[in-house]
Amino acid sequence: MNLFLQVLLDGLWSGLLYGLIAAGLSLIWGVLDIINFAHGEFLMAGMYVSFFLGFLLKIDPVFSWIFSGAFLFLLGVATYILVVKRTLGKAMAPLLATFGLSMVIKNFAMNRFTPNFRILSGTIMEGKVLNLGSAIIPLPNLVTALFSLVVLGGLYWMLTRTRFGWAIQATAMDVQAARLMGINTERIFILVFGIGGACVGIAGGLLPSYLATHPDVGSLFGLIAFMVVAMGGFGSIPGALVAALLIGLIESFAGFYIAPVFKYVAVFGVYLVVIMIRPKGFFGW
Amino acid sequence: MALLLVLSAGAQEKIIKIGTLFPLTGPVATAGQRCTAAVETIVDIINGVYPNLDLPIAKKAGLLDGYKIVLVKADHQGKPDVAKSEAERLYEQEKVFAIIGSYNSAATKPASAVAERLQKIFMCGASSSAALTERDFQYFFRLAPTDRIESYEFAEWFTELNKSRNANIKTASIIYENTEFGKHAADEAKAASAKAGIKILADVPFTPGATNLNSEIQKLKAANADALFGAVLGADYSLMIRTMKQAAWKPKIAINYCSGYQDPNIAQQLGQDGWYFMGSAGYTPEFGLRFMKGVAPVEEYFKKKVNVPFDSNSIQEAVAMYVLALAIEKAGSLDTEKVAQVLRTTTFDSPLSMGGKVAFESPGGQNIKAQSVISQLQNGKYVTVYPYEYKDGDPVFPMPSW
Amino acid sequence: MKTNVKTGTLAWIGFLALLALLPVAGIVSKGFLSHVLIMILLNASMAQAWNLIGGYAGQVSFGHSVFFGIGAYGAAYAVTVMKTTPWPGVLAGALLAAVVAVLIGFPTFKLKGHYFAIATFAIVEVFNRLFMIWEDVGGAVGLDYPILKDGWKNFSWSRDKTGYFYGALLLFALIFSLVRRLEQNRFGYYLKAIREGQETAESLGVNSRRFKLAAMALSAALAALCGSLFAQYNYRVDPSMVLSLDMSMRFVLVTILGGIGTLWGPLLGAAILIPLQEYTRAYLAKLGPGVDLVIFGLIIILMMEFQPRGIMGIIEQIMKKRRRGGAR
Repeated sequence: MNLFLQVLLDGLWSGLLYGLIAAGLSLIWGVLDIINFAHGEFLMAGMYVSFFLGFLLKIDPVFSWIFSGAFLFLLGVATYILVVKRTLGKAMAPLLATFGLSMVIKNFAMNRFTPNFRILSGTIMEGKVLNLGSAIIPLPNLVTALFSLVVLGGLYWMLTRTRFGWAIQATAMDVQAARLMGINTERIFILVFGIGGACVGIAGGLLPSYLATHPDVGSLFGLIAFMVVAMGGFGSIPGALVAALLIGLIESFAGFYIAPVFKYVAVFGVYLVVIMIRPKGFFGW
Repeated sequence: MALLLVLSAGAQEKIIKIGTLFPLTGPVATAGQRCTAAVETIVDIINGVYPNLDLPIAKKAGLLDGYKIVLVKADHQGKPDVAKSEAERLYEQEKVFAIIGSYNSAATKPASAVAERLQKIFMCGASSSAALTERDFQYFFRLAPTDRIESYEFAEWFTELNKSRNANIKTASIIYENTEFGKHAADEAKAASAKAGIKILADVPFTPGATNLNSEIQKLKAANADALFGAVLGADYSLMIRTMKQAAWKPKIAINYCSGYQDPNIAQQLGQDGWYFMGSAGYTPEFGLRFMKGVAPVEEYFKKKVNVPFDSNSIQEAVAMYVLALAIEKAGSLDTEKVAQVLRTTTFDSPLSMGGKVAFESPGGQNIKAQSVISQLQNGKYVTVYPYEYKDGDPVFPMPSW
Repeated sequence: MKTNVKTGTLAWIGFLALLALLPVAGIVSKGFLSHVLIMILLNASMAQAWNLIGGYAGQVSFGHSVFFGIGAYGAAYAVTVMKTTPWPGVLAGALLAAVVAVLIGFPTFKLKGHYFAIATFAIVEVFNRLFMIWEDVGGAVGLDYPILKDGWKNFSWSRDKTGYFYGALLLFALIFSLVRRLEQNRFGYYLKAIREGQETAESLGVNSRRFKLAAMALSAALAALCGSLFAQYNYRVDPSMVLSLDMSMRFVLVTILGGIGTLWGPLLGAAILIPLQEYTRAYLAKLGPGVDLVIFGLIIILMMEFQPRGIMGIIEQIMKKRRRGGAR
């Protein structure tokens, strides 16, 4: 029974981490109807910012997430203006353009920072655990999970309770109509990309507490983020949370009770099953 | 007129082109870059005169009568199909005399197959898969000990600990990356354990680059075997150690194949968490200081290139270049057949090799003089614990808990 | 109309004949150039196979590496496990790929837009990981070819690449001729109609489901043939070589950069991209790792921003300007 609790908790942390990473992607997809293929690389960039702040200036990830978030906000805005804007509305062009961007970012990092794995040691949260009975809760994972809930909750609140959020939703539903109503949709797009970037930047900022940073670290996270967003449904933040938790739990349970190599077969397999039953994800519209 | 022609012919460039084929991009690029630098270090020594080094190739400039070596560096990006086409390009387009490569066993396989088909020499320093030298190849020569040799040494070590310290190691688990390297190492671990009467409780492959290793570590913890075999590279290695710490679990003894364990950068970054793990080593700086005195001066030049000392892998690539140079000198010519024959039949003196000698069995190409020792990371240093004639410290057994 | 088709066919055959004569010029038997030419033909074939479903039918799939992989494993299995010639494996691979395509297409075609794309990612990942743990086909280690006797029976040559060149050329001719034919007859028109507006096409009596599945099956079988050639050329196959997202992206990128939904787009895309990729990798190595991929990525970004219709789009633009200039 104890083992079950451990596996369950591991799945929850993973799931919440995936949710935090996917939050920004969900927002971008919901509003602009594009998949940011470079999302995993955004995460990696956030991790590098946090790593270097920690390595060179001894700023702990517990604080450097702010800088990672800010950096990724700017990167998101730059991505929109330089890469995405001109591809809007042209079928697969935004997806492929962001794919090109992911190649540029990943290989730039490879070239400038070398493929060395960078680990931060001596961070505040490292190695600390809480005990729930005989189950172990690592502190970094717990903190990341809390951040995830705060960010997801904050996004949801912003989207549904603020004027800015309503403007975003209006733009998401019908761009022309929103413009006719006087909403500056261009500004909305820019800000959405920025906020989306900032969310994944926050995730990237916290991860160096326990994960090694290297140019390829974002790939699998990015892929899982796509699953989360598609399973949750286009434009739905609550959907993303539910999907992320489901994926985290499946990964954990399949990994332990079937076989660790089966982890991702189960994750992607379940995604396919869900999408067959509900072609628009859980709460997609 | 004829005199002028003769003079100009004599002034022709005397170059031997050697190709290096390593992963310079991709997940194991650090290792690939270090391997390339190792070959480069030896080439610099060959091409120049280094009176301070006690190596035959350092005493004069170049090989044979003044031939300089020019390296043509290639990147296979960790992909076997790129390795194959790069090998072809190096031999056919660049017309290299031989290739030194390729670190990843999965890349070395097709690249060396190209060499064998073209009847060209392929020197492999550090790929560990035993299958590479089971193909009866004539032109393939591999320096490092295989994962089979290492597995038997590990099992022998466990048996020795049981005898001398009542270690009571009866069970083991294996964690390995699900790739050519990891899988092969795991198979060898199973074979060696069977022979030593050690029961395997958990067989845990994982996909490299995983976002977490929770399930894997939970499985190991649930099985709670006495020993752990690990074939885990790079970033996954540090993730594994950190996850083990979070799960508050350690086996009594953990021993690694060529993996993140041997990487001094990773050892430094893990700090105390990485202590007391063991692994095989074809070289450590500490070992070199005591038993391989010839390495230190050469290592100075290597450090200038990559800021780290040699490790088990990079040093084997240096030996590969070194032995090839010796073979060319002994053959007295650049005829591939003659040089290959020298490689197949000579026992070379190699101050850069553990045990000091290199000899290849033919066909197949395995260096039968390859040795490795088992080291343990204690207080940030790699202490050799086995075999006893090389030992410079006592093993800490069992591993102290977190 | 008929005369245009006839001259078109003559030109096409002439072009193929020209290519077939290249070996006489001696540039194809060995060397890097020969490798690049074979890769161009292979990638053009792959892209054209994808073009059938992605370009003409408008169903942008990122899952073609699955079919490619089935073809590769089919050939490799026949050679390494069954110890026979690859041809039965090639045939079996193509048929199996078509079957898998229909099985995948059935449930996924009802997914719209990005949902379909992401579902195809998931399918590739599932296949990749399953093959990684499936011991009968080598698992993570894959299947390695022994050294075979040269010749068409084994479709393997150790020194001279001419055989591979002709193999790639035949595949190229087959796929391009096939798509050219389809484009000009009813099948092609229906596919385009479905691409332009599925509901409208259906209201006119086109059974879109059946046509899309047929296109998918054909596309898959052709992709599998390409995979078989790839395995034979590289003397080995393992999951990361063929069943990867990178390989899937290649199918898509070559076609789109060349010109999606056009007959010559795949060839143009391959002819420009492959030499670029191979030569920058080989010769830009001194600038440090990854530079060739950064360049590649930038090209993709710029193309997508300024001419998403690819090289064919650029050519059309130039022709339009010329016409306008001339008509003045």
